[in-house]
Amino acid sequence: MLELKNISKWYNSGANKTFILKNIDLLINEGEFVSIMGPSGSGKSTLLNILGMLDEPSEGYHYFMGEAVHLMKEKQRSALYKKYVGFVFQAYHLIDELTVYENIETPLLYQDVKSSERKAMVADMLDRFQIVGKKDLFPSQLSGGQQQLVGIARALIVSPKLILADEPTGNLNSKQGEEIMGLFKKLNQEGVTIVQVTHSEKNATYGSRIINLLDGSIQ
Amino acid sequence: MFRNYINIAFRNIWKHKFFSFINISGLAIGISASLVIFLIVQYDFSFDKHHKDSDRIYRAVSNFEFSGEVYKNSGITSPMADALRKEGTGIELVVPFRHMDFERKISIPVTGKDEPIVFKKQQDFIATDQAYFKLFSYEWVAGNPAASLQDPYQVVLTESKAKLYFPNLKPSDVMGKEFFMDDSVRLTVSGIVKDQVKKTDFTFKAFLSRATLEKTSLKPRDWTQWNNTNSSSQLLVKLSQGTKPIQVEKQIEALSEKNRIKEPGDNSKTSFKLQPLNDIHFNPDYWIYENRIAHKPTLLGLLAVAAFLLLLGCINFINLTTAQAAGRAKEIGIRKTIGSSKMQLIFQFLNETILITLMATIFSVLITPLLLKVFADFIPSDLTFNFFQQPAIWLFLLMLVVVVSFLSGFYPALVLSKFKPLAVLKSQSAISGGQSKTAWLRKSLTVVQFVIAQVFIIAAFFVSKQINYTLQKDLGFQKEAILYFSTQYNDTAVGRQKLMVEKIKQIPEVSMVSLSTSPPSSVSSWSGTIKYKDGKKEIETDVQFKYGDTSFMKLYKMDLLAGTGLTPADTVSSFVINETYARLLGFKNPKEAIGKILIWDVKPVPIAGVVKDFHTRSLHEQIKPTAIGTWVNASHTFNVALYPQNGQTGTWQSAIKKMEKSWKELYPENDFEYQFLDESIAKFYTSEKNISRLLNWATGLAIFISCLGLLGLVIFITNQRTKEIGIRKVIGASVTQIVTLLSKDFLKLVLIGFIIAIPIAWWGTHTWLENFAFKTNMSWWIFILSGGLMIMIALITLGIQTIRSAMANPVKSLRSE
Repeated sequence: MLELKNISKWYNSGANKTFILKNIDLLINEGEFVSIMGPSGSGKSTLLNILGMLDEPSEGYHYFMGEAVHLMKEKQRSALYKKYVGFVFQAYHLIDELTVYENIETPLLYQDVKSSERKAMVADMLDRFQIVGKKDLFPSQLSGGQQQLVGIARALIVSPKLILADEPTGNLNSKQGEEIMGLFKKLNQEGVTIVQVTHSEKNATYGSRIINLLDGSIQ
Repeated sequence: MFRNYINIAFRNIWKHKFFSFINISGLAIGISASLVIFLIVQYDFSFDKHHKDSDRIYRAVSNFEFSGEVYKNSGITSPMADALRKEGTGIELVVPFRHMDFERKISIPVTGKDEPIVFKKQQDFIATDQAYFKLFSYEWVAGNPAASLQDPYQVVLTESKAKLYFPNLKPSDVMGKEFFMDDSVRLTVSGIVKDQVKKTDFTFKAFLSRATLEKTSLKPRDWTQWNNTNSSSQLLVKLSQGTKPIQVEKQIEALSEKNRIKEPGDNSKTSFKLQPLNDIHFNPDYWIYENRIAHKPTLLGLLAVAAFLLLLGCINFINLTTAQAAGRAKEIGIRKTIGSSKMQLIFQFLNETILITLMATIFSVLITPLLLKVFADFIPSDLTFNFFQQPAIWLFLLMLVVVVSFLSGFYPALVLSKFKPLAVLKSQSAISGGQSKTAWLRKSLTVVQFVIAQVFIIAAFFVSKQINYTLQKDLGFQKEAILYFSTQYNDTAVGRQKLMVEKIKQIPEVSMVSLSTSPPSSVSSWSGTIKYKDGKKEIETDVQFKYGDTSFMKLYKMDLLAGTGLTPADTVSSFVINETYARLLGFKNPKEAIGKILIWDVKPVPIAGVVKDFHTRSLHEQIKPTAIGTWVNASHTFNVALYPQNGQTGTWQSAIKKMEKSWKELYPENDFEYQFLDESIAKFYTSEKNISRLLNWATGLAIFISCLGLLGLVIFITNQRTKEIGIRKVIGASVTQIVTLLSKDFLKLVLIGFIIAIPIAWWGTHTWLENFAFKTNMSWWIFILSGGLMIMIALITLGIQTIRSAMANPVKSLRSE
């Protein structure tokens, strides 16, 4: 599904290059559930962001769904992204001024989905996560676990092929964390490819493969 | 999509109530000003636009040049019309009409009664022929243009006039009715037309046939005279397609040259102009039948004021939105990661701006009727504001909303949509680094705001200083406690005047009475040439004349510098001249002038005195050579000096009552209309007073909008620096030090604004003061005062917020971190 070849990312600090990622080669197939692990500052999040096309590598080749991402312009990249990728954040990143319903609906607006269809899709999603009763609440009125559920629902609404999750349970208590991981597992079984960044060994076990990162290189 | 945008916009507006209030009120003030000014400008520019082929219609006017001075006359010599009809080429229509200037008395005979119904002071009468109705299209209710203005004594009325004179008759029944004009001319109604609905300066309501003038006793003296031009003798032409105005001007000039009698020694020059129809409403050089002439510079000034206020509102919006951008950064980051493109974000923010602008617009529409009342002095009385019936207003507001939204929304939208999602989601600190450019822009815009406000303040100060100066300047004569009134200019019953003078003298409240042509200072004046031979060369001067009796100079407390003053006489037997004239004639000492002989026309007149210079006109004009003489037949104005109002001599009102009573006995045919001299002099400066009032409003509003913006910015900055303020306090900073720290940067901007404003304001007020021959000083302290005022207002505004945050308990702000 996606392939990184010789991907590096660095910052120039004076005459020296400070590498965040160095010569990463990575192949992820459709249907995998990959966990990226490693200590703080090892480049996990940067790698995830590059996979999600939110960040650009300094050099290297990047293929996604058979297309060469490194050759694309920003517009094409964001079109590709819109179609296939859903993002889940540690800090949930819901829009504070929108209700639960509107937060989940927003990605559909950017894909020009018709109003009637939108209604059905959002209702479906609310149902699936059992948050119908909370649809008119604002994020600040929800618990962390509930907010993350909304975040995942928002990521899933566009039926992505790939979900990228950056420490999705980092701000949650263990019970809520287990629920979320269970949900990921179920989604994976339904055929969604998932890449997560995590500190937790336990969470990593939900996945099918673990990639260990240290100082920007895969071990 | 749209609903989502609207939702979030409304929630944001609500969340940041105070900032929204600043944005909306700033824009609303600008939009209201624009709307009111649009109404005024639209009103004035819609005059006489509706006539067919209006771009080919011109009015022929005359310019005369005597010894270097140009006199402009809106009329043309009477025989010109017929000559042009006969010999002119390239002209589709020649339309002469005679304006019946004076107020007319109309009597409607009533069958079965001896006394007719009388309407006094009737206006809007002209005499013309059918060509007039070919030029301007009227809807005929009865009669037709060809037959209705053919014969003498025919008159066509508009419906409103017909209704006034014959209230109980249908238009068709009014046809053939007769009425009298000035008791002597019997007119027969031969047609009824509908009143003009569209705006026009040709507001006539009764049209006599031109034949009535030609064939009857109404025939004007100048009807066949090529050397005489009466401004009531009007000539409109409609050029054929392709004819240039200059071609017709030349034809008119040739006709005038051919027919005019040239007298020897006459050095005057006559030229003719075709005044375009769309110039008539604006050109102050030519009369437009008692209608108001719009003042183009004032309209331009108004437009500038509206533009500036609008700009100030837009700047507030840009400043506050970009300052707050960090608060929106998270939302933008999220939207980008869930698939929004940059374009979509720009659209979202523009939508939000449009919403705010719309709210401001609605607010403006609601307060506009109020504003129209406040500015009633500038606004023509028949200007209407009916939001639902004037599509032009809709169109204008729509355009305004689009322009304002784009001006104020585009840059913030660009800034906001540029945020990198990764940077803003990771940490807030990443944003502030990239913002140095917008911070710089914010500062520049704030400076612009304060330049505008400061220029307004300085200008307002100078204008009111000049008005004070004009009203308090010693004019060379007494103007307080003096009232005057006049008999008709053609009243020759000298005995009656003398009797009136005696009656006024007997009123105990009156200290003195004098008869003269006019008060020392008045709008109208007489002038002529006087020659003086000082032995070697002859000095010919254009001199202004004032005629008054022997008490004239005493009553007005004018200073006689030399000589004895006027001696009693019926016609001019001696002149008292002013200092300027004496100097011009070469007398170093006023005494030298006494007894010298001036040649007036052909009559030698000795100089009997020299009077200290006094102002015969407004302070816009220089003092001209002036001569005062005695001429009973030209003196129709009673000047009455009153004692100060106190218990012993009674009030002025009681004196006026007594004068009115005597007036009614002696002049029953005229109304008693008096004026106080100081009030009529103050009227010379009506337009300046209007400018001053307008400036005061503009200044107030500009300061208000700018300070709101300043307040918004300082609230934002102090919120951002809460933690810093807390730390500084903990380590020992005093409240004053913190207030200084927070205000310093803003005050710098106000100061820079002040420095930039000085040359602009200096140039502007200097140019304006050039209109006055006598003007107040451009005192430096006015600049300092206005600058100080601005800084003080800014300090107070800043203080509202800075003191509060400096007083806040640091423990609170640090704990929450």
